[in-house]
Amino acid sequence: MAEVVYVLCALTSLTCAILLLRAHRRRPASLLLWSGLCFAGLAANNALLFLDKVVITEVDLGILRALSGLIALLFLMYALIWDTR
Amino acid sequence: MVDFINGATAMACFVAALFFLRFYRQSRDRLFLFFGLGFSVFCANRLVLALLEESHEATTYVYISRLLAFLMILYAIVDKNRPESNQ
Repeated sequence: MAEVVYVLCALTSLTCAILLLRAHRRRPASLLLWSGLCFAGLAANNALLFLDKVVITEVDLGILRALSGLIALLFLMYALIWDTR
Repeated sequence: MVDFINGATAMACFVAALFFLRFYRQSRDRLFLFFGLGFSVFCANRLVLALLEESHEATTYVYISRLLAFLMILYAIVDKNRPESNQ
């Protein structure tokens, strides 16, 4: 059950990233670009969650998971604070 | 170190939620409402995960709520990109 949830989180966040980046390509807007990058980072974060909890259980990937989540949100913070009025 | 980074991430989610809810208040565009609610859930997720043991059985429900937030945001993006919604 938990494994399914981790995979679905990764897939939905990846889908969000793809849709946002496609929308940016059609009609360029910096918030779309940085949001897309944020969700790509969140997809990586969720993929690392699956790897950490299910696949590579001997090694603690907690620091990698934490960093990927933070970097993803930093992309969005940059766009929201610096690029929007 | 991990707790510090997770705390920073939770704060970033909270700030993002505030921005999106402000955008919703200004534009009444429901995309921003869903994004604001979604990032609020992400923030709450990280708070709850910080309070629970990693092996606690309730963490599965936390990740389920994260999935529901992603699905809500995905719905908002699809809804925004539908041809009818742009008229």
